[in-house]
Amino acid sequence: MSNSNYNKDKIPSTHSKAPWNAFVGWVNGDTPEDKFEKPELYQAPKQSHDAHNEESAVQQTPMPQAENEQEYNTDHTEQGHFLLKEKFTKFYKVYIVIAVIIGCFVVGILAYAVCCLPPYGYAENPVNNEVSEKYLEDGLEDTGATNAVAGMILDYRAFDTFGESTVLFVAVIAVTMLMKRSMNKKDEEGERLVAHETEIDKKDQNLILKYGAMILVPFIILFGVYVILNGHISPGGGFSGGAIIGGGLMLYAMAFGHEKISKIITYRSFTVITSCALLTYAGCKAYSFYTGANHLGGDIPKGIAGAILSGGFILPLNICVGITVAFTMYGFYSLFSKGDI
Amino acid sequence: MIRFIIAAVFIVAGIFVFAAAAFGVFKFKYVLNRMHVAAKCDSLGALLILIGCMILGGFSFMTLKLLLILLILWVTSPVAAHLIVKAEVKTQNEDDSDEYEVIGK
Repeated sequence: MSNSNYNKDKIPSTHSKAPWNAFVGWVNGDTPEDKFEKPELYQAPKQSHDAHNEESAVQQTPMPQAENEQEYNTDHTEQGHFLLKEKFTKFYKVYIVIAVIIGCFVVGILAYAVCCLPPYGYAENPVNNEVSEKYLEDGLEDTGATNAVAGMILDYRAFDTFGESTVLFVAVIAVTMLMKRSMNKKDEEGERLVAHETEIDKKDQNLILKYGAMILVPFIILFGVYVILNGHISPGGGFSGGAIIGGGLMLYAMAFGHEKISKIITYRSFTVITSCALLTYAGCKAYSFYTGANHLGGDIPKGIAGAILSGGFILPLNICVGITVAFTMYGFYSLFSKGDI
Repeated sequence: MIRFIIAAVFIVAGIFVFAAAAFGVFKFKYVLNRMHVAAKCDSLGALLILIGCMILGGFSFMTLKLLLILLILWVTSPVAAHLIVKAEVKTQNEDDSDEYEVIGK
């Protein structure tokens, strides 16, 4: 409590330049003395029960300093800091109260909404309109996929999914343009940094992460493959399975270093595999356009619904999407962390 | 009925542990203290809540799935907490050393 009214008479009133000066000072990295800053921040939560008294004090403070205004119209970065900090402290006290109120409010709304949710799987639910009826009634017959979602996104709307995969591919190309270190131009500073980091990585045994990754990575990648291959039978599909595999690759690269994973995934194999996956997808879609632009692969045998080899084109498309997503995710991680794939 | 009560006791205990974790993360000011609270309570709370769910659901294929969830949480959560703490310890500045004194407050 005693900290909040330190040198009140020195603090300028709310003239127009102060917040801007404070902001400029903050951008330039000027910090006021620590003895003012730290106690404020650390003791603020304890004073929360006094928040009400503080609010009344807030309204009274700007008044007495009005006569000092001329004195402080010039540049006073330090003063601006004090002003900003006092405002922040007051805001912090009010903030706790407001945060608790908003938190309770949101929790109440969510709890109420959960009570009002329609029961699962009833025919009268509002989501069941004509479109979904069409998909649900004819989906199995048209696409051969027991998972209606996979039938929808990879058969009825396969062109849309192609666009989504392409967006990911374009994003990873853009990141490559920005982040990849040039092979022709030698960047000595960057090389030195990378060598330094590899040295740190080698010195650090990091056994806990290594053993954790050793246990987890095979299961993560296996689960991702399962999710992709079962995309047309059970919930899952290319995007989710690819994300799981990408996460597994990232964990592997994090635990064992880029050197080990670059034996499997190089820049060349990365580009070749990703482009091939997308081109396969494009080829399948082009074939469906050629055969009349009805849904995808009209004359491919559907197979028995529920078997792995069923659903016409859906399984290969799921694999293509999964490969693209997995490699894209790993590419983002690798480019941002190492500047290379 | 008695099964429901036992399950409810377990789940409420788990919720209490998680609430204590949230309170501790809010209460402590230093990273290591916060991570201590968060990591410990994560494991125990997950255990209690999942045991409650197992009792509530009865013994079936679901129990195995819940066990797998518990296993994966117990493997991943301590490793992640360890890495966060390690990052804090490695990047610690000399200037921050006075923050150790804030621990008990």
